[in-house]
Amino acid sequence: MITLTSLPLAEADQEFLDKVIAQRGGRPGALLGILGKAQDHQPRKFLPRETLEYIAAKTDTPLARIFSVVTFYALFNLEPQGKNTICICRGTACHTRGSRELLESLMFKLGFHDPDDEMADKISLNTNDGKYTIRTVACFGQCALAPVVEVNHEVYGHMNEQTLQRELEHLGRETAKK
Amino acid sequence: MRPATTNVKTLKIDGRDLSGRQEETILEVARQNGIFIPRLCEMEGLTDVGACRMCLVEIKGQNRLLPACVTAVEEGMEVTTDSERLQNYRRMILELLFTERNHVCSVCVSNGHCEMQMLAQRLGITHVHFPYRYPKEEVDASHDRFVIDHNRCILCTRCVRVCDEIEGAHTWDITGRGIDAQVITDLNEPWGSSETCTGCGKCVHVCPTGALFEKGRSVAEMLKRRQFLPYLTMMREENE
Ligand code: SF4
Ligand code: SF4
Ligand code: FES
Ligand code: FES
Repeated sequence: MITLTSLPLAEADQEFLDKVIAQRGGRPGALLGILGKAQDHQPRKFLPRETLEYIAAKTDTPLARIFSVVTFYALFNLEPQGKNTICICRGTACHTRGSRELLESLMFKLGFHDPDDEMADKISLNTNDGKYTIRTVACFGQCALAPVVEVNHEVYGHMNEQTLQRELEHLGRETAKK
Repeated sequence: MRPATTNVKTLKIDGRDLSGRQEETILEVARQNGIFIPRLCEMEGLTDVGACRMCLVEIKGQNRLLPACVTAVEEGMEVTTDSERLQNYRRMILELLFTERNHVCSVCVSNGHCEMQMLAQRLGITHVHFPYRYPKEEVDASHDRFVIDHNRCILCTRCVRVCDEIEGAHTWDITGRGIDAQVITDLNEPWGSSETCTGCGKCVHVCPTGALFEKGRSVAEMLKRRQFLPYLTMMREENE
């Protein structure tokens, strides 16, 4: 069951949302754009409960409708996202070239042990320290480079465990510096 | 009175010559003429969504089966509402619905009054040819007077539509996709803490199965009252 994260809206955030809603409000399909902007604006790239409630009230959208929309589209996050996002392709090409093993070892290294998670067709997991988010996609459209892994929006083809391990160490150092 | 220019279409349903207004669906015209077409998501007085596919019919000259609840009547149309092919499809759809959640009629509040059970009996379904999924679904009994048992929900969205279109509360909606889809109240909160629900009970009475019911009902005791809906719609149309 999906639960929402609570995070009170600061005044500046309210002003930001007011502006976005004033620009787009009323037009058909506006809700998606408003929610997208709200998520981009949030430093941890997610939609807290208070944000959803505020948007619902200001756009006169039923709460249930908002919840339906943010759980239908995979692009919306309801949990704070990690500082680094590692996205493993679970498409057919990448699967046959070992993406399951990559995913398993990555999840193991970052402390996720639930086999149910590995079996899920779409994964979005966040480490408790807020450093990492693991995701899966159905295909990056780069099958010739399988297995494909995206690290902080950079695409790595022909990924193997050693390279992934090196990337992880690199990210660990960079994140510690910040 | 409707204006005299109303466009009337004449068509054949199961060999009978019938007519309907151009905005009417095959299902509506069939119903007016006492022809039974099975349905689960459609309901008089609510918008049509074509979600359950129970109402599939054959139309002469078309290979595809079309859902009667969202297909408008057309001039010269020849519709067949019952055939072996249709029965097979309908049976399959129902069997899949039965396997998807946990429909244990013998302990259900709606036993004997359930629309899905009634259709299954009518189609002579005695057992199911697909493996059951046995999902663990929740039961939310947080509301003062009503309960939702997701184990018996078939995602017809009648509750969503009646609450939005007739009650104006829009407490319900659907979350997730495919096999993960579920009805929710507000921001996926317990129904009892919903700020939008007025407690009118409309959703409970349109629900075709035992998914929504009144507290205090035991096995087979949940009789649903549907008459309010056509009545409300009629009164509203007259006032317009
Ligand atoms: S009881 Fe009425 S207001 Fe409450 S959820 Fe059902 S239809 Fe909506
Ligand atoms: S709760 Fe009842 S009315 Fe609502 S979608 Fe499920 S089966 Fe349909
Ligand atoms: S299957 Fe991985 S990029 Fe296509
Ligand atoms: S009654 Fe037509 S699709 Fe459900």
